[in-house]
Amino acid sequence: MANIMNSLYNMRLLDDLARQETVIHKLHPLMKLLTTVSYLTVVVSFGRYEIGGLLPLLLYPVIVFTLAELPVKPILLRILLVSPFIIGIGILNPFFDHQVYLLGGREISRGWITFLSILLKSGLTVTAALLLIATTGMDRLAGALRMLKIPRIFVLQLLLTYRYISVLMEEVARTLRAYSLRAPRQKGVHRSAWGSLAGQLILRTFDRAQRIYEAMCLRGFTGEYHTGGFKEIRVWDLSYFIGWVFFFAVARMYNIPMLIGSLITGVIR
Amino acid sequence: MSHHKLEVKDLHYSYPDGHKAVKGMSFCIHHGESVGIIGANGAGKSTLLMLLMGVLFPDQGEVCVGDVHVTKKTLPMIRQSLGMVFQDPDDQLFMNTVYDDVAFGPRNYKLDEKEVEKRVFNALELVGILHLKDRAPFKLSGGEKRAAAIASVLSMQPDILIMDEPTAALDPKSRRKVMQLLTSFKHTKVITSHDLDMIFEMCDRTIVIKNGEIAADGVTSEILVNAELMDDCGLEIPLSLQNCPVCGTEKV
Ligand SMILES: Nc1ncnc2c1ncn2[C@@H]1O[C@H](COP(=O)(O)OP(=O)(O)OP(=O)(O)O)[C@@H](O)[C@H]1O
Ligand SMILES: [Mg+2]
Repeated sequence: MANIMNSLYNMRLLDDLARQETVIHKLHPLMKLLTTVSYLTVVVSFGRYEIGGLLPLLLYPVIVFTLAELPVKPILLRILLVSPFIIGIGILNPFFDHQVYLLGGREISRGWITFLSILLKSGLTVTAALLLIATTGMDRLAGALRMLKIPRIFVLQLLLTYRYISVLMEEVARTLRAYSLRAPRQKGVHRSAWGSLAGQLILRTFDRAQRIYEAMCLRGFTGEYHTGGFKEIRVWDLSYFIGWVFFFAVARMYNIPMLIGSLITGVIR
Repeated sequence: MSHHKLEVKDLHYSYPDGHKAVKGMSFCIHHGESVGIIGANGAGKSTLLMLLMGVLFPDQGEVCVGDVHVTKKTLPMIRQSLGMVFQDPDDQLFMNTVYDDVAFGPRNYKLDEKEVEKRVFNALELVGILHLKDRAPFKLSGGEKRAAAIASVLSMQPDILIMDEPTAALDPKSRRKVMQLLTSFKHTKVITSHDLDMIFEMCDRTIVIKNGEIAADGVTSEILVNAELMDDCGLEIPLSLQNCPVCGTEKV
């Protein structure tokens, strides 16, 4: 059961990280959101066979990781969490796309290239999204979305879903703990108890979500989520955004590794 | 609302599964009164409080705050003057830090951030957990959670304070502190509890509930010593009023 309690604590890890006060954390949420969105757009816009061009974009997560002083391991773990889905989507490519591609004198099926590019792209996008949450926090992110005039109902949906996940996890942890304490010599949950356990779980989370919602209403909640005032957008925030967008644009238009390569070979010649 | 009367007339409520939890209660609580609501487990205390707050709506009868009926329409206005502490603090704390949780109410009333901060600090100071302000609520101990839940209501500066078992799970010192805190709150208070000694100290008036009905309503010092009534409702005379167990000196 320790595992589940651990993952519960980990669930909230992103929230904890978001409370640090580093250069990145102090940036205006809106600018961080926009930077992330442009990053995602650029990453996704690369073609299926371009891997080289994607590489410079690795710089962004690396720099944010460093400046925001985020622990790499737990965030990488979360990226691995979604990797089965990505592999599931990409794994068929090598079987269907048999065209041969020459790379440094060796033959590689193009399928593998696309597989690799899917893997890289999704890795980068998931990382960027996690970094955004870990440096901004869901609440302030919601505030930024509202500043972009995203309808209140969607933002609320997002926030409450995010909350609901932790409520669900807590209920799961409690139920399983109660179960394991009274079924000491069992590994996991016996299949005869699955049905009632799952049913209980759903009902209890519904109930709790309901009570939490009531508690919110009792304190004047009317659908608008206030997370405290936002600071003004400073020049520095704006230049952070513009700087990155400029970099992304350059990385999109020129194949930087190729340029550097030809530059070096040019010099050598 | 100039005076914060709280009136209940012939209240009935059954849960969706058909369980009749409240059967015809009527009473009126005047401004500045502190009222204890006691009764055995499952008597219907929490349900009654939910009805007062407009979390549940009665099948029959009505609840009035001031001169306003509690209905879906008047709810936002009424809730500004009522503050409720839930029986289970886990239901009440949902933000990422204690600070944000306590600030949630004031922010919803669109106070500016300076005022919000002042109120949050005040409330946290009052319940003595200012040092916990940056912690995550779900990582606190039971008693600390309770204190945070109380602070989250105090920061809204309600006119009527409704509390479901505020001293459950508190250590003796914290219990004492909460009691002092509640005594210093000069407005109307409605408190349910199994801590009859606390009710005896804090509340001038007591309402005893038995199976969803009012069994007695009157001056605390008369009701709590009525051994027959208390026994009949699944309760006991408070320890502080019982004969001394060591020397047998009689108090009553
Ligand atoms: N959600 C629900 N659905 C159906 N019945 C309920 C529900 N909640 C409570 N009840 C029933 O209503 C009755 C009154 O419950 P209530 O929670 O008001 O008791 P209480 O006086 O607060 O008890 P305690 O002192 O244990 O907190 C109980 O018999 C309970 O079984
Ligand atoms: Mg109760």
